[in-house]
Amino acid sequence: MAKKSDTKPKLKPRDTETIEQIVSLANGIVTAAGGGRDLSIDIPTRSLANVRYNKTRKILEMGKGTNSRQLFNLSQAKSYMQTILVAQGASRLIGEGKSNSIRGLYYTLKHKIAPTSENTFEDQAECDPIIEDLEVILGSLREELHLFADNRGGMVGNIILEDSGDEINCGRMGSGGYAVPSIVEPEVIRFKECTAKFVLHVEKGTVWQRFNEDKFWRNNNCILTHGAGQPPRGVRRMLYRLHNELKLPIYCLLDNDPWGYYIYSVIKQGSINLAYESQRMAIPEARFLGLRSSDYERCALSDSVQIALNDTDRKRAKQIAGYPWFAHKKSWQKEIDKMLDNGFKLEVEALISKDISYVTEEYTPQRLKDQDWLD
Amino acid sequence: MSETTSSPEADDLTETNGEATTGSNGDGHKNRRRATAQSMAASQKEISVSEFFAKNRHLLGFDNPRKALLTTVKEAVDNALDACEEAGILPEIWVHIERVGEDRFKVGVQDNGPGIVRAQIPLIFGKLLYGSKFHRMRMSRGQQGIGISAAGMYGMLTTGKPVKIMSKVSKRSDAHYYELQIDTKRNRPDILNGKGEGVVIEPNDKGRRNTEKHGIEWVEIDHGTRVTIELEARYQRGRGSVDEYLEQTAMANPHVMVHYTDPDGSVWDRPRVTDTLPPEPREIKPHPYGVELGRLVGMLKETKAPTIGQFLIQSFSRVSPSIARKICEGAKLGVRTTPAKCERQEADAIYKSIQTAKIPAPATDCLVPIGEDLILKGLHQIIPGEFYAAATRPPSVYRGNPFLIEVGLAFGGTSPAQRISIDGLKEMLDASDARTLRQFLSMTFDGIGADAADKIIAASEMRPRVSPGKLEKEEIVKLHEAMQNVNLNDGQSMSILRYANRVPLQFQAAACAITQTVMGTNWRSYGLSQSRGSLPSGPVTLMVHMASVWVPFTSESKEAVASYPEIQKELRLALQAVGRKLAMFLRKRLKVKHEGQRRAIFLRYLGEVATAVHAINGTDREQLLERLMKVAQKRTASADAQFDDRGRPLEPTEKDFGGSVLIVDPASEPLEK
Repeated sequence: MAKKSDTKPKLKPRDTETIEQIVSLANGIVTAAGGGRDLSIDIPTRSLANVRYNKTRKILEMGKGTNSRQLFNLSQAKSYMQTILVAQGASRLIGEGKSNSIRGLYYTLKHKIAPTSENTFEDQAECDPIIEDLEVILGSLREELHLFADNRGGMVGNIILEDSGDEINCGRMGSGGYAVPSIVEPEVIRFKECTAKFVLHVEKGTVWQRFNEDKFWRNNNCILTHGAGQPPRGVRRMLYRLHNELKLPIYCLLDNDPWGYYIYSVIKQGSINLAYESQRMAIPEARFLGLRSSDYERCALSDSVQIALNDTDRKRAKQIAGYPWFAHKKSWQKEIDKMLDNGFKLEVEALISKDISYVTEEYTPQRLKDQDWLD
Repeated sequence: MSETTSSPEADDLTETNGEATTGSNGDGHKNRRRATAQSMAASQKEISVSEFFAKNRHLLGFDNPRKALLTTVKEAVDNALDACEEAGILPEIWVHIERVGEDRFKVGVQDNGPGIVRAQIPLIFGKLLYGSKFHRMRMSRGQQGIGISAAGMYGMLTTGKPVKIMSKVSKRSDAHYYELQIDTKRNRPDILNGKGEGVVIEPNDKGRRNTEKHGIEWVEIDHGTRVTIELEARYQRGRGSVDEYLEQTAMANPHVMVHYTDPDGSVWDRPRVTDTLPPEPREIKPHPYGVELGRLVGMLKETKAPTIGQFLIQSFSRVSPSIARKICEGAKLGVRTTPAKCERQEADAIYKSIQTAKIPAPATDCLVPIGEDLILKGLHQIIPGEFYAAATRPPSVYRGNPFLIEVGLAFGGTSPAQRISIDGLKEMLDASDARTLRQFLSMTFDGIGADAADKIIAASEMRPRVSPGKLEKEEIVKLHEAMQNVNLNDGQSMSILRYANRVPLQFQAAACAITQTVMGTNWRSYGLSQSRGSLPSGPVTLMVHMASVWVPFTSESKEAVASYPEIQKELRLALQAVGRKLAMFLRKRLKVKHEGQRRAIFLRYLGEVATAVHAINGTDREQLLERLMKVAQKRTASADAQFDDRGRPLEPTEKDFGGSVLIVDPASEPLEK
């Protein structure tokens, strides 16, 4: 089952390639400056306008649109400088064969610009999008730049992994679970043994705790994951690999609100921001198990669990309903309309209010049995 | 001779007062009479003008000791300047204020004017409402002939000391020295020295010895007049002070040289900005539109003209024979009617006819503006700033009186609060009667509003309600430091210097048409911030001058100009003219600043880019940086045009503004001590 276990532990040719790309970016600056030409970098646009929904592959793909980032433009000068700084930081990491967290990189690159008191980066929020910019400029992934993010998201279930040489039995992880690393590529994580039949992905750690405590994964022979909200790339890549390498179906149990819908959308066809990663992360076959707008009546929930929709929610819901990948799905249009009709949203915790183990013992098994899900 | 001379106005005034008294005894006739008409008649008597003003001194600007000192100096200086200019002499003024007691001051003002003939000295200084300016239509500082004698009277009332006058008409002639008191009952001067005849001082050594003997203060000059008044007063610097008055006078009168010795003995010499005397204002006859019915009746009685037609032509300006005929036709009177035969009815008819007749506007060459050029120079000398603009409006007419408006504007520089020395501050704190420090700051200094005061107090780490008199030495040092360091430009509100016929108006700002019009002008469109219905903020000083043959003051103490719509309109137009120039300056400055900032931002990041590129591909950092710099230069070429060879931003030139502006590079100005 570990198809790629024979890949080399250190991908030297890929590193060289990345370094070459960074060097050619730098060379471009030298040439442009020498010729007295304008200095600009073309960055593929990371916005809805430059995202295409590939109907056959059912994933989001990045379009060909680019934005030009110019050094001699007041509003872009700083981010131009920052882009070059990040490129330099990445090239050093690759050259040294080390990797760094994105926060670590931010600290490495942050310094005062002499003689002013201005910082190259004021905070990490300024640095993170620049890293994503560099990824699309170079066409390299974050891990190819030797960068990783914080571990976020957790996993338990009937699967044994090998993480950097250590064997991890996800069935023996106690109440905390296995923290999904930022990089889950085959050279880091290999699947050794898996008996689980499917993956249940829940939105938040708290709900995941509920499922873990009730040993849902053991009773239903599955893998249980969560992404602490919008799942990070590590979790999404992990789900992708579980689905594609181990052929496990993915079911999502998310909140009944626009936020939950979008999490599902990201898992299913990729995010708008990181559309270039879709082909290695999107799982078009992922299913939306719940919560459904109709669950309030179906499960006879008390009205105290309603959370009124605010204007942003309504706006966001309509936006999501308009996305090309939802626009032609009648069931989804009905779902979103129903939520807008209800005028309230529901969190998974709403089920817990009915009975502490209602969600793990009745709701989810029933749905799975009935194959009652949205696609 | 002085006993018999009495001006008609003085009589008028006593008459009116007499009437008022008679009218009041009609009350209470229903009740039992407390007094009979006969018994009351015994106490009904004439009131002298002098007595009237002695009781109502506030009407003339002697409401409090502080203002009394200012008014005294002001009246003396105004008279001195009028005399010099009328005689065609470049004025030089000596002002000496000496402290002679706790609340007593001796004010001496000397000019280099034509001097006063012996016989007139006692009348001019010792009789109220005696003067040359009331009856004529001519632009001058003084108008009524009350001021200086009232000052002398005030001095006499508060200290008992006489007014001392020394006057000399030429180098070889005798000088005359008088010590006068005003007989308030009879409104006439009493000469105290030289057995009631005054003292003659010969133009030789004997005379010099005599001067010393009598203790006369006199700066040795060929001709001129010195008046010395001792009075109860209070000397305080800051807003509404003598210092401020002299400073502002110097600004509006660039041809005047001022030597001022303040009570502490420090001397302030203000040299002339120009050696050219302003042209002599022409005297004009009143314009028919400006005359009131009562005045018309009086003129008809007094005139020597044989016919109404002649009367109209001779007594008024701009009345031609044909216009006179039209007025008469309108009044249904013959042109040849004898003026003496005109009764109230006829006068009324003439008055009404005048209002409907089409008469050309009065001649306006009787007005002498300061001129845009001299306004700029005067402003620059007194107010340190970066940009000056001036506008002189063409003359206009209100109620038949010609007038014109001039406006000067100074932008930038430090506020007066930042130019003060630590000793000066200490003195002001001691003398202030403000209850809190905050009040002291906003009351004493122009341009410090409540916001700025709060900022200063916060920076000096003091309590805002602390009494200004109770500050410790270190606290004063801290306060002074805070005043220097706090950026007052934001909280600073525009300060306005108001002038009427070159005389600064220092009080009743809110009641004045000038202040009201400045507030009513929208300064936001000229680049200043302004909240609705208040003065704009920013380091701006406005100088507004109204020149007229008759300035419509709201009161006798001449502190505020009345709001006639014609005056407000001219004010607005003049303010807008300088406002537009200010806006241009601010825009240009902003543009240069933007361009400079643009380049600075690029240059800042170039070093980082070069370092990073060097680290990636090993390119020579310095060479790359140099190349990047070159591209930056090229890319910000528009900014380049504004930079000189030292890389400093170039200010726009005066030509760009269509004249009447002055631009000063603050860095090249020596710091004022």
